[in-house]
Amino acid sequence: MCRLVEPPSLLPAIPAMRTCRFVVILWIGILCGLSSPDRSVTRAEELLSASSDLPEAVDHYVQERLDRYGIEPAPIADWQTVLRRTSLDLAGRIPTAAEYEWAERLPESDRRLAIVEHLMSLSDFDFHLRNSLDELLLANNPHNGEFRDYLLWAVRSRRPWDQIFRDLMAASSTDGPEKGAVHFLRSRVRQLDDLTNDTAILFFGVNVACAKCHDHPLVDQWQQDHFYGMQAFFSRTFMTRRNVITERPFGSVKFKSTAGEEKTASFTFLTGAAAEDKSPSFSDDERKRLEEQLRKMEQNENTGYVLFPDFSPRRELVELALQDAEDRFFAKNIVNRTWQRLMGLGLVDPPDQMHAANPPSHPELMDWLTRDLVEHRYDLRRLVRGIVLSDAYARSSRWASSDTPPSPSTFALAATKPLTPRQLATSLLVAARAPQTDPLDANSDASPWGRLRNDLENQAGGWVREFEYPTDPFQVAVDEALFFSNNERVQNDLLRDANDWLVGRLKATESDEELIRTLWIHVLTRQPDDEELATAQAWLSRDSTERFDSIRSLTWALLAGPEARFNR
Amino acid sequence: MNSDTPIADDISPPRPAAASGSAPTSPRPTVRPIGFSRRGFLTASAAGVTASLAADMSAIQGLRGEAIASELKRQDKRVILLWLAGGASQFETWDPKPGTKTGGPFRAIPTNVAGIHISELLPELAQRMQHTAIIRSLNTKIADHGTAAELMECGRRNDPGIRYPDIGAVVARELGRLESKVPDYVSLYTSTEGRRKGTSGFLGARYSPMFLSDSMTPANILRPDSISATEHQDRAALRDALAKRFTAESHHLAVDSHQSAYQRVQGLMASADLFDVEREPESMRARYGPTQFGEQCLIARRLVEAGVPFVKVARAWWDSHGQNFETHQELCADLDHCMSALLDDLDERGLLENTLVITLGEFGRTPGINASLGRDHFASAWSCSLSGMGIRGGVAYGKTDEEGHKVVEGEANAGDLFATILEALGIDHEHEYMLGARPIPLSDFGSKPIREVLA
Repeated sequence: MCRLVEPPSLLPAIPAMRTCRFVVILWIGILCGLSSPDRSVTRAEELLSASSDLPEAVDHYVQERLDRYGIEPAPIADWQTVLRRTSLDLAGRIPTAAEYEWAERLPESDRRLAIVEHLMSLSDFDFHLRNSLDELLLANNPHNGEFRDYLLWAVRSRRPWDQIFRDLMAASSTDGPEKGAVHFLRSRVRQLDDLTNDTAILFFGVNVACAKCHDHPLVDQWQQDHFYGMQAFFSRTFMTRRNVITERPFGSVKFKSTAGEEKTASFTFLTGAAAEDKSPSFSDDERKRLEEQLRKMEQNENTGYVLFPDFSPRRELVELALQDAEDRFFAKNIVNRTWQRLMGLGLVDPPDQMHAANPPSHPELMDWLTRDLVEHRYDLRRLVRGIVLSDAYARSSRWASSDTPPSPSTFALAATKPLTPRQLATSLLVAARAPQTDPLDANSDASPWGRLRNDLENQAGGWVREFEYPTDPFQVAVDEALFFSNNERVQNDLLRDANDWLVGRLKATESDEELIRTLWIHVLTRQPDDEELATAQAWLSRDSTERFDSIRSLTWALLAGPEARFNR
Repeated sequence: MNSDTPIADDISPPRPAAASGSAPTSPRPTVRPIGFSRRGFLTASAAGVTASLAADMSAIQGLRGEAIASELKRQDKRVILLWLAGGASQFETWDPKPGTKTGGPFRAIPTNVAGIHISELLPELAQRMQHTAIIRSLNTKIADHGTAAELMECGRRNDPGIRYPDIGAVVARELGRLESKVPDYVSLYTSTEGRRKGTSGFLGARYSPMFLSDSMTPANILRPDSISATEHQDRAALRDALAKRFTAESHHLAVDSHQSAYQRVQGLMASADLFDVEREPESMRARYGPTQFGEQCLIARRLVEAGVPFVKVARAWWDSHGQNFETHQELCADLDHCMSALLDDLDERGLLENTLVITLGEFGRTPGINASLGRDHFASAWSCSLSGMGIRGGVAYGKTDEEGHKVVEGEANAGDLFATILEALGIDHEHEYMLGARPIPLSDFGSKPIREVLA
């Protein structure tokens, strides 16, 4: 309770020197954005028609910038690269050999569309979108089974993004499929600052933390108002002894402004829109009784009740965020993060710095995609599908000319993206298993591929801790190289000598060339070039070593190579 | 921060300014090819194949000018952190208050430096104060284990969206050598420490600690039995050869980091012996004693001698909510003996002038003694010590009041301590890392080194 009334200025003093330069720059930006919200917003009528195809709109706006800079973009990548990239981004794994052979036979004109539609029809797509959301939302507390179950249910039932946000902020279901949604708040409930900052960063693309103690001479009041305004939405949130998340019916955030003035924060969204406190006023007696009940809920395991006040500040936050038709922080944020995941770099980068001084690389595209998302009821599938069908997505990641490659923010060439731990683990298992089951025959989760994919998803969970989640800038840890080089699991699992696993099948292949081609397709989704073929043939014909050991080492060399580690 | 502070150290690939008329470009990473030869298959094609030992290093070199940076690295500076996990009592170590209400049963004893008294539980260290500066005036405010450990390891709290590197990662980055065949940051376990791994934060996994979690040998450092030594090396060369095309064609620093991680494997495997105390003469092992902490201190000495810039040895569990005095009797005896053996050994080998020994926990303990004869968490007035490199020995800096409730002289916070450690190593604590567009000084904004303890 005291947390609510204690002025934050009494918390451990933060030296004024902390007001770092970047904060100043960024916050001036935010405030400019707030004071003149349409500075970065292109009017709807200036945009391409809403009925344009989504991939077309992407390519239109990306091309517009390339033309302005006079940049000739990289060509569309070869189909093998597109297949692998799309599969990693949509299915969270590399393609199987069967998918490779199928795609090879497709007519060039239909191929990309057919690949995308195939991958989006699989349970793989749901798993991967779930995993991506999980990594975004619960990075602080990974591998939470209940939360992952909730997300999988939400993705499978095509729950729109705004509804997922409602579920996470409501956190009120104690059973049923929404139950696991509580973990977004539960994992942060002990730190009011985490609730405030993580919600602003992950759902609105805005980092308000800097405004807690900032004292810019002109605009510090505003800034603090915005930080504490956001904090007010969470200040009544608490967890009962039985781990139920609820809110107190009263309480407010008080803070001392840098001018020394004591202020009470109102429920204020980033746009400046505020919610009225509709809580009833309580007499002293009522309040005392409520305090006692709240104390019991918080401290006593046997308290058989939970109060859910009618007025919920968190629900007000959801409403204000979804009503924001001007800045559209909520919709832009998920557009930006989805773009970042697929294209390797956000339209706004870094993704928690959406404000006027840090405009999108393609502002009109951001606006178009945002409008499209809102008009299509926050359907993330539509957004994902549209982006991966664009030419911008399908470009080569190689820059053939000897000139300096253009900036990544031009999207003139595709990004090379490190795999997430789950993408890597699942891909290693797909390669090592060399599944005979054909994803193209999958028509339900109960089909053989559906069952196998479910197994792979579970098995991958046992490997993900071996790899670092990619942050920016990402470096591969030497621990990972040591793991691949020396861990018995790599030797015993990935290189398992079983007839129906990859090395077992390679062993049974008599022709070296056929063996090598099979291996390359299974691991790298392509044929070896002449030099690779020659190197591998020389390797297999060494006298000094048993053929099977050579096959294993060759397979290892590809699995541990950089091409298997990245999405190119 | 002063705006005239130094050239920033960009840790991420350059990004263009906001859109304008001209095409933004990003320079290709500087690639420094390093030839290597390997016996056996593919010697010819493997040599010269692998490029760019950590291309991120090209950005790092931008820092203070290459010459100074490499000069720093050439000096072979080292750090050993003796981490007193759980929080040791300042009363029973560096800041005794005998005869007061809060002082507990132990006496203070004189040291070999006139005027400085420490607890009688540290008799051997009392005779080695010429190497050591005591700081008695830490006020770090945070008194829960997890957050306080983060604070003391990183010199500041994490901000939303920024994960800070801990002292080991900063030292690994500032003092580690590219061509080194040994790890740059080793963290030795203790069974009761709660497995705090340490974090390289935004510096990235290149500077993550080699963390020994449950054995004296690092994970995956030994070749598996199922593959011969020759085949193990040959397949690594094959891997390098096949990686050539992809690495050369990519324009990505992370791809280069993949290659450099694999290039370090053989070197690290060769350093496995450093973790084996059996390789020390019996007499040396006897000096450190048979405890786990003693053996790990000996390993720490072997590591720094071989060129590892940062080693953390954790000793637990000092969290004496009950029976504070018995706990400290036991743990201080171990600390006193092992740290003394370490200081002597480093000194005799001429390593102490290049090695800073930090003795620190996440906080101290309350002046009040509770009903279980324990002391609880206390971060408002507590102590730590620094010995060796860059330190003015025989100094007791700062003062607490008569009963140790608060700091009355020389108050220092976690950032100040961090700045002091960096300055002792000759690293400018105000130097800035660039995280995207954000300048982040090595030690927290506003922190100041404690000059009085610096040589």
